[in-house]
Amino acid sequence: MRLLVLEDEPALRETLAQQFRVSGFTIDAAADGVEGEFAGLEYPIDVAVVDLGLPGRSGLEAIRAWRKAGKTFPVLILTARDSWQEKVAGLDAGADDYVTKPFRFEEVLARVQALLRRSGGWSQPLLKCGAVELDTRAQEVRVGGAAVELTAFEYRLLEYLMLRAGQVVSKSELTEKLYEQDFERDSNTIEVFIGRLRRKLDPDNRHQPIETLRGRGYRISRD
Amino acid sequence: MAPSAPSLQSRLLLTLAVLLLVAAAAAAWALDALYRNLGLRALEDVLDAQVIALISTAEIEFAGQLVPQNLAEPRLATPGSGLYAEIVGSQGTWRSPSAVGSGLNLAAEPLPGERRIEHAKLADGTRVLGLSLGVRWDPAEGKSRDFVIRAAQSLEPWYQQVLRVRTGLVTGFILLALLLLGGLAIALRVSLGPLRRLETEIVDIEAGRRESLGTGWPRELSGVTGNLNALLIGERKRLERYRTTLGNLAHSLKTPLAALRGLIERGESDPQALTPQLERMQSIVQHQLKRAVFGGSGATLIDLGVQEPLEQLRSALQKVYADKPIKATIAVAPGTAYPIDAGDFLELAGNLMDNACKYCRSSLAVRATPWTAAEWRRPGLVLEVEDDGSGIPPAERAHVLERGVRADESVAGQGIGLSVAREIAAAYSGTLEIGESRLGGARLCIRLPGR
Repeated sequence: MRLLVLEDEPALRETLAQQFRVSGFTIDAAADGVEGEFAGLEYPIDVAVVDLGLPGRSGLEAIRAWRKAGKTFPVLILTARDSWQEKVAGLDAGADDYVTKPFRFEEVLARVQALLRRSGGWSQPLLKCGAVELDTRAQEVRVGGAAVELTAFEYRLLEYLMLRAGQVVSKSELTEKLYEQDFERDSNTIEVFIGRLRRKLDPDNRHQPIETLRGRGYRISRD
Repeated sequence: MAPSAPSLQSRLLLTLAVLLLVAAAAAAWALDALYRNLGLRALEDVLDAQVIALISTAEIEFAGQLVPQNLAEPRLATPGSGLYAEIVGSQGTWRSPSAVGSGLNLAAEPLPGERRIEHAKLADGTRVLGLSLGVRWDPAEGKSRDFVIRAAQSLEPWYQQVLRVRTGLVTGFILLALLLLGGLAIALRVSLGPLRRLETEIVDIEAGRRESLGTGWPRELSGVTGNLNALLIGERKRLERYRTTLGNLAHSLKTPLAALRGLIERGESDPQALTPQLERMQSIVQHQLKRAVFGGSGATLIDLGVQEPLEQLRSALQKVYADKPIKATIAVAPGTAYPIDAGDFLELAGNLMDNACKYCRSSLAVRATPWTAAEWRRPGLVLEVEDDGSGIPPAERAHVLERGVRADESVAGQGIGLSVAREIAAAYSGTLEIGESRLGGARLCIRLPGR
């Protein structure tokens, strides 16, 4: 999942980026509204965390610009003042949820995950595709009720596919979303990881949860 | 301090004084001119009469000279009487005894039938008004002759009278102007009295001798004084609130600070041990900030239409509670508006609606209606928020509203919203009541009085 952090305070920005990275996100970070607006418009962002008290171009304007350009990725705002006026202004501009500063990272993470889940059309934190169950809060995967051990990258790959269940996801999209910007991109790696994931989820090759659509990408069906 | 502008009273008096002087001078000049015109006209009439009297008694004597046979006017016979006459013909000149040696020299030579008026001077400098009439004498026998009959009258007594009238006019008008100015000064003092009283009372308020403006102001000022009082009361409430907030803040930070100090003195090496105290301090700061943000009532507030902010809140809350399908209805009576700070209203309604979203099962209803009373010029506002949750038991209602009033007994995120809403309502002299809803859950009702 590719996440944009728009925060002017360097310490907070670095902390957030670091914590999200550890939680399996690919991070783009921006220090001001102009930079953030550009990143949101130009990069394949899945979700953005925006501080409203930005200098120069405000976070509100960046959100408005994204929405005006037809960007639908969910936006979580961080408000310093716990007032409804600020929350309403942010949500009205096109944000989807808010967290009040100071916050605990777990809360921000939970909100971001909920936003991603909802934007994928899931109303519950437990994603279920046939026999495969993915708990976004506990970051656990079960197949037919039995826990499956996945590496961090495998988990991110599966989560991405399941959040977009029913949709075809191309290899290039997966590389873009799951690797940092400056990583060397090699679509063969994705094939390797998909192969490993298939073996772990379906050792007997019975459910075949991940479909390959030749030349187009991969798909997980909801049922 | 910038130099103060001239007072209203001196401005008005100065302007009026100039206006009065100009008006008085113009009136005096016009009256004077009128009087002189009329006076000269009257003098001309007198001279006409004299000339006609001379003609009526005049006859041509042997030398061909026209001479009045008797002088009906005794002044003509008295030298230096101020009334003079002469008849000038081709054969000589007749002069009244009064004109002898006076140096009368009227210059006009009118043709027969012509009449001329002129101003002249006698030898001794006396100013006279002269009338010359040309006549053609047609006797029964002999040929006709032309004469000029002249009469003149000294203007000196008249000039003296004009001067007297002028002096009278000028003194009269000056007295009148002074009287009017005095009257105006008194009128101004009386009508500007309330303003001076206002000034004194404001000085008293600044000096702390008085809390608010008194009552009994004239209609023109009652709006201003009413608003000033509202502003003063609002400011005082705000100050009290800040004071309480600061006190609470300082007081409630003491405990975690003491705990931190204790940890350090004990030589605590695990940074995690500090976390509970840090979180506590964080929640205290957040809590007190939330209380300090709202603006409170004041005289400067304009009417806020409530429909739009309520709808904004609904769409914002529907995003926040996206996992919970909530049906929220908003009913605003047409024209419902209340003078409240937009941020305060959002905070007030936002807390109530957030609370309702949190505790409802699936629906909530918001209703805003004006609150009218006979003694209010502007109506108040009733805002009701109902939900279909499990409601708030009567025993807990008072506690819910008091919750978090003292920072050190609050827990972050634990329903401080309602007590904040109650405090905002109180800042507008309003109330928050908790009751039961027809929907089955709680009914929260804010009542903000009108003015």
